[in-house]
Amino acid sequence: MSLLKKLSRARWLSSLIFLIVLFTITGLVNPTFFTYSNILSAFNSSVVFTLLAVGISFVIMTGEIDVSIGATMGLAAAIAGTIAQRGGSVVEMLIYAVLLGLVVGAINGVGVAIIKVPSLIFTLGIMGIVRGFVYVYSDGRTVENFAGAFTNLGSKELFADITVYYSMVIVIVLVAHILLTRTRNGKNFIAVGDNIGGATLIGIPVVWTKISAYMLCGVFAAVAGVAFASKYGQVNIVAGSGYEMSAIAACVLGGVSLSGGLGSALGAAIGAVIMSSISRMLVFIGLSSDYDNTIKGIMLITIVVADALMHTRSVEKARRARLAARASNHNSAEVGSSDEE
Amino acid sequence: MKNSYKENIKKIVTRWEFVLFMVLVAEFVIFGAVNFQKFMRITSIFSSINNYISICIISLFVTFVMITGGIDIQASSIVGLTSIIIGVLWSDAGLNIWVAVLMAIVTAGLCGALSGFLVAYCNVQPMVVTLGGSFLFSGLALLISGFSETPAFKGISGFPGKNEAGEFIAFRALGKFKLFDVIPIQIIIYVLLIALCYWLLHRSKYGRKVFLVGVNRQAAEYSGINAKWIIMSTYILTGIGAAIAGVLLTANVNSAKYNLGSTFTLSIITAVVLGGTLSTGGKGSIIGTALAAIAICILRYGLPLCFGVSTQNLDLPIGIMLVLVVSARELAANQRVSTFFRGLLKRS
Repeated sequence: MSLLKKLSRARWLSSLIFLIVLFTITGLVNPTFFTYSNILSAFNSSVVFTLLAVGISFVIMTGEIDVSIGATMGLAAAIAGTIAQRGGSVVEMLIYAVLLGLVVGAINGVGVAIIKVPSLIFTLGIMGIVRGFVYVYSDGRTVENFAGAFTNLGSKELFADITVYYSMVIVIVLVAHILLTRTRNGKNFIAVGDNIGGATLIGIPVVWTKISAYMLCGVFAAVAGVAFASKYGQVNIVAGSGYEMSAIAACVLGGVSLSGGLGSALGAAIGAVIMSSISRMLVFIGLSSDYDNTIKGIMLITIVVADALMHTRSVEKARRARLAARASNHNSAEVGSSDEE
Repeated sequence: MKNSYKENIKKIVTRWEFVLFMVLVAEFVIFGAVNFQKFMRITSIFSSINNYISICIISLFVTFVMITGGIDIQASSIVGLTSIIIGVLWSDAGLNIWVAVLMAIVTAGLCGALSGFLVAYCNVQPMVVTLGGSFLFSGLALLISGFSETPAFKGISGFPGKNEAGEFIAFRALGKFKLFDVIPIQIIIYVLLIALCYWLLHRSKYGRKVFLVGVNRQAAEYSGINAKWIIMSTYILTGIGAAIAGVLLTANVNSAKYNLGSTFTLSIITAVVLGGTLSTGGKGSIIGTALAAIAICILRYGLPLCFGVSTQNLDLPIGIMLVLVVSARELAANQRVSTFFRGLLKRS
């Protein structure tokens, strides 16, 4: 397959084009937007959303959903906050975050893949429980007054104005993308989401794939929590609630299909940048940020409706082509047998 | 005859609604045993249900959507939208309050119709459409609140309906009226809605169609049911249900705000699922949803009162309840697990 053809099939590419179009429109309305630092800060400020969206994209690709990530993120942020209060290191926070993410993810995975509870419902319950732990852990108080070094880390720039966090995120996203598209285990996620029966028949460990998707999702959400704590400098008990919906929306914008089997980590990351930079672009266009949700909603609905209509059309087209081929076969060979349909 | 009597009992006992009813009874027994004096005060029980009446009402209608195999996570944003429409039309456009209410309900129906149309006629996944809808409608509510002179965060207040004697009349009566000074009007409306939904889902032709579409959409279409319209209508119903909740809430707190109800989504889904509705469609009942919603209300009311659980931390017990209940239900339905337990019983 030629490179061009391959690229035209990549769903993340249309998301990237969409992002560029959005940037261009903003720049045309207000030329001051077109500076290196403005555009870069759109990326830099999307760290939390990118991590959440890439994490949940694994789960969505297997055809399931996880609404507990907002709560997981909140708990990880609260834990990171208390570590920061006593001046602990980021490595320590990350270790705790990864452990937390693995545990929550494993519970979600077992519930969905082994006990076979519908994923929305199971993760909804886990969300309530984890959110409750946030309350218990922080005693109902807001965790604040971090050591300065931790909160400064968020704005520290590594090279060319790219923050430490975003450069980490770039590496993580690229690794995830390559793992998903180039390795056997990575391709399992897509295979399970595309056709679970078929995946079982050719010997893919379906249950384990789902559990590992949830564990990855949990780890990403918990690491996002560390970034969240560092970015905002305080963590209250409802920190991160509602973020799961934005992360799911980011995935959809990035071309990850909610019915599973379609999408990529790169797409989810691009979708997250779109989601988090809308309010920034609105400021440059001159609209108040009150338009934020309306525009997000219209965008989301337009994109999914267009996608669904194109999908229906291609299915219809393929069906017509199949029928036409069958009819011509039928005529030329003059076989008396009827169609198997 | 004795045999069929036994079988009838068995039929009732194994029904999910019976389990929920027992949960409800257990809650009353436990909470009552711990703190009878405080817990058993009828007025405070009623007012606790009143706090969650929006969740109770909306979950009734979301049951319809879920039975067709869909999901609706936009209803909670429609609550805020209706509230702010009533406020702006009444206080800033100067319309009669009842006209404002009517227009708000019609708008909510249209919001539902938009999502329903996209789900049914364009074959978009319900979760994504209503997710987009929840962004869109909460955004619209915020924009509409911009038309008002009152700042958005304050909420439009001072609705009509208090006479000289201090009694609530007209619009405010929808929020504050109490029958015999005990039963709040919201409870009465809720009971009426339960009856209406029960008739609609379990006793009417429409309800049979809703179930059939959920069980097998293609078969429903082949048997001459307009499946697309049925699916779309369930979303319209949910929109109207959310609007009713929004009207009651606005009248009760005497304040029209764009973000009323924004946190309801997950509680609504919890109530519907706990009520025994299959998220894949085809199964569910109004009585189940109503019992589950009330059970959640009583839990939220009783835990802080009797066990000193903080009101901010009620997600934890409800999450545990949801996880345990759905896991147990799945495990009980699992062939391997049930034969394993049967084997254990035989051996002992």
